[in-house]
Amino acid sequence: MKLQTIKIREPFFWFTVSCSAIILAFILIPLIELMTAPSADVLLETLKDRDVVRSIWLSIYTSGSAALISFFFGTPLAFMLARSEFRGKRFIESIIDLPIVIPHPVIGIAILSVAGKNHLLGRWMEALGIRIMGSPTGIITVLTFVGLPFYINAVKDGFEGIPQRLENVSRSLGASMFSTFFRITFPLAWRSMVVGFIMCGARAISEFGAVVIVAYHPMIAPVMIYERFESYGLKYSQPIAVWLVAICLLLFFLLRWVALSKPREA
Amino acid sequence: MMTKLMIKKVCIVLLLLVAFQLPIIAGAEPSGKLVMFHAGSLSVPFEAMEKNFEKMYPKVDLQREGSGSQQAARKITDLKKPCDIMASADYTVIDKLLIPAAAEMNIRFATNQLVLCYTERSKYAAEVNANNWYEILQRKGVVWGHSDPNLDPCGYRSLMVIQLAEKYHKIPGLYDKVIANRPKENIRPKSVELISLLQTGNMDYAWEYRSVAVQHKLRYVVLPDEINLGNYKHDKFYEQAKVQVTGKKPGTFMTMTGGSVTYGITLIKNTPNREAAIAFLKYVLDPKGGLKVLDEMGQPPFVPCRVPTAAMKDLLPNELQKFVEVKN
Amino acid sequence: MITIAHLHVHLLSFDLIDICLHIEANEFFTLIGPTGAGKTVLLEAIAGLTPVQKGQIIIQNRNVTSLTPEKRGVSILYQDHALFPHLSVINNITYGLRYHPIDEKRARQRIQELIELLNLSHLLKRLPAHLSGGEKQRVGLARALAVEPQVLLLDEPFSALDPNFKADIRNSLKSLHQNSTATFLMVTHDFADALSLADRSAVIHQGRIEQSGKIEDIFEKPVSPFVADFVGMKNLFPAVLNGTVASLGSLKIKLSQKPSDHSRSIAIRPEEIILTKNPSSSGSWNVFKGSVAKIIPQGFIYEIHVDVGHIIFKAMVGKNTLFQLGLTEGSDVYISFRPEAVHSL
Repeated sequence: MKLQTIKIREPFFWFTVSCSAIILAFILIPLIELMTAPSADVLLETLKDRDVVRSIWLSIYTSGSAALISFFFGTPLAFMLARSEFRGKRFIESIIDLPIVIPHPVIGIAILSVAGKNHLLGRWMEALGIRIMGSPTGIITVLTFVGLPFYINAVKDGFEGIPQRLENVSRSLGASMFSTFFRITFPLAWRSMVVGFIMCGARAISEFGAVVIVAYHPMIAPVMIYERFESYGLKYSQPIAVWLVAICLLLFFLLRWVALSKPREA
Repeated sequence: MMTKLMIKKVCIVLLLLVAFQLPIIAGAEPSGKLVMFHAGSLSVPFEAMEKNFEKMYPKVDLQREGSGSQQAARKITDLKKPCDIMASADYTVIDKLLIPAAAEMNIRFATNQLVLCYTERSKYAAEVNANNWYEILQRKGVVWGHSDPNLDPCGYRSLMVIQLAEKYHKIPGLYDKVIANRPKENIRPKSVELISLLQTGNMDYAWEYRSVAVQHKLRYVVLPDEINLGNYKHDKFYEQAKVQVTGKKPGTFMTMTGGSVTYGITLIKNTPNREAAIAFLKYVLDPKGGLKVLDEMGQPPFVPCRVPTAAMKDLLPNELQKFVEVKN
Repeated sequence: MITIAHLHVHLLSFDLIDICLHIEANEFFTLIGPTGAGKTVLLEAIAGLTPVQKGQIIIQNRNVTSLTPEKRGVSILYQDHALFPHLSVINNITYGLRYHPIDEKRARQRIQELIELLNLSHLLKRLPAHLSGGEKQRVGLARALAVEPQVLLLDEPFSALDPNFKADIRNSLKSLHQNSTATFLMVTHDFADALSLADRSAVIHQGRIEQSGKIEDIFEKPVSPFVADFVGMKNLFPAVLNGTVASLGSLKIKLSQKPSDHSRSIAIRPEEIILTKNPSSSGSWNVFKGSVAKIIPQGFIYEIHVDVGHIIFKAMVGKNTLFQLGLTEGSDVYISFRPEAVHSL
């Protein structure tokens, strides 16, 4: 005979359940409507459109690059923030969070102003043959700008969760800081790096306002969705939106599965 | 503790507050929201007109959206966005995309011409003039652009100028050579976006209307009347230029033929706020009102404004009759 | 051999002030003090894990003050053992070997010795998460000693352990020390640990060294009231000292030798105070009559507070003695103690 728990339900429980239900509905209803609106053959037609495929691929490629750059440059910074105490640390943490609070078109304008010939940096870049306006380089620049804080904060939390004593012991046994990082810190922190990578990539792939100012062409998927919507209406933009959402969900579930799987025995 | 009496009092107060917010429909004074879609190049003069008009009729809230003129037309026809008035940088856009489904009149009210804008930081800025611009635009390293021909008349007009230059300067193949140095990345949906690219030094040369160049204090090359689309006397020459752009439905195309730049304005059929819309048109078409603003901002108006046929003049609301003459 | 000269460490929340210590080679030295006295900070400074503001640390005639931790030859064993959770026991133990130019055969031999000495052979493939507290500590010890350090720092090794096994671990530590050439520096707040293991000790309080030297000296001749209290000299009284007599209220206490000129107090260990029903006859001893003020059970022994002329003396007796004397609160009793047991400071 299966035993059932005697449930004790009080008003507070029902209150939290209702709030949760409202929030879930709020998130799911528009998304379900979007994903089921176009018919299957319209979706397949859209895939045949070379411009659409190119723009989705550009979106994946540029946000992946932004996440990779965040990984390489953000990891040492996150480590330093997790381990050191120094005057001005709060200030630096606030600077890193700036991209989150600045309105997106403002970010695009700021980057454009630096990239042009009116700015010293822009002149250097021109001399080196680097082009920001209307180029994938420019898109990656913008996406890295908006995605960095997400990566750094996730990885910083990961490092903070690893007791510094482990690194201390490793060093006392003769390992340099580099050696310690690769043998001790990284194996214990890699899951938070994957999470940070996902968060950064997710933020990057959905960016629109900042990118559209710096580069209208080549079109990333959000820009193409907007352009199709403005020119031709809902019917023509929904299929691209569905594909973009589907691919994003696939990538992120994949990475989360990797990150959350239980660690194996040594 | 909320007693029953307290609750009743609160409800009465709330009801009164709500009642005072309801718009009072009184008399014949224009009021309420007025929506206008217009060409990007009209942004600056219409902003000034908006201020003046709202001073005259404080109860009206004019909301404008600037964009390429074809894009503005599509917002009305395809997206069914509510709109009272539409003003286009090319009156033929109103003819081709709005009449007869969304509008029945088309008043031509101003002219303009195309110029090639640049800044002191642009490459070869010291050198460029009306005789060598087409050669400079071909040079490697020069970044130049125009707006999207499918969304903005300034876009296809820029292409027309280059086509006409080929004919005028008698250099076969010039158009293709010049366009070859303009990759897709240098096209933007609205021509005014090109201005910020010029100002930040991300672009060297951009095609714009003269009025816009003046309003933004940019340097520009003035081109011969035969190619700058600014003088209706050369309409026959202008007709040689043809550009294909996307049509009413995606997948279809239509051909735009060169003609002198003529701005058109129209009242949308079944507008939500017809009374305020007509009041605004009255202001715009008034030589002492909107037309004066246009003139001051470097955009030569037609005084008086024109409609092509007497039949169309009859369709106009009474209040506007005296501002318009029949002239094609 | 470790010499610490005028070391100052300034942290956001704590300071070490003018620390001077000298520890002989292969010595077992303990650093004793209450929690928060700065013991761990000093250990980490020696290991190079905390930056120092002033002073020098010299290990085996090498000035290591500006060297990075991996170059100092100092191993540290933390209170919570800090085993690498993602490595097996054997991988934990052999972790540091690749950084030290030890001959492979000798290294393997050494590891084998340690594993046997610490009884770890059956645990080699396990992960730290599946070890008990005692097992983790033994692995930590093996790991620290596998690299043949010059100095082994132990941060309160007994506090996380079951008291029953303390004796076992103490013995393991003793034999490890004898088996190794390293200098052992152990930090503890329990004086009993120091007594059983150390050759010499230092008492640290609020970031300063209060007293250092042979363990017996600290135990019997504390130099300050804090140290006296810390080593369990519970009978600490300010007194007027005149020749070999100390006046304490109305009591005259005989001392065995003249105290130094700046002595202001006397102290007597509770164990030295003998309680009897009748006055003891030994002439040279200090004997006083008093009444039992309080009886405080302390596990297997009892702390008895005896009121002698309004001065409370604290004595320790076993359960048997308590019954034999029939002591209850308020009953009369005689206390006696040797003059040699009275320490002046």
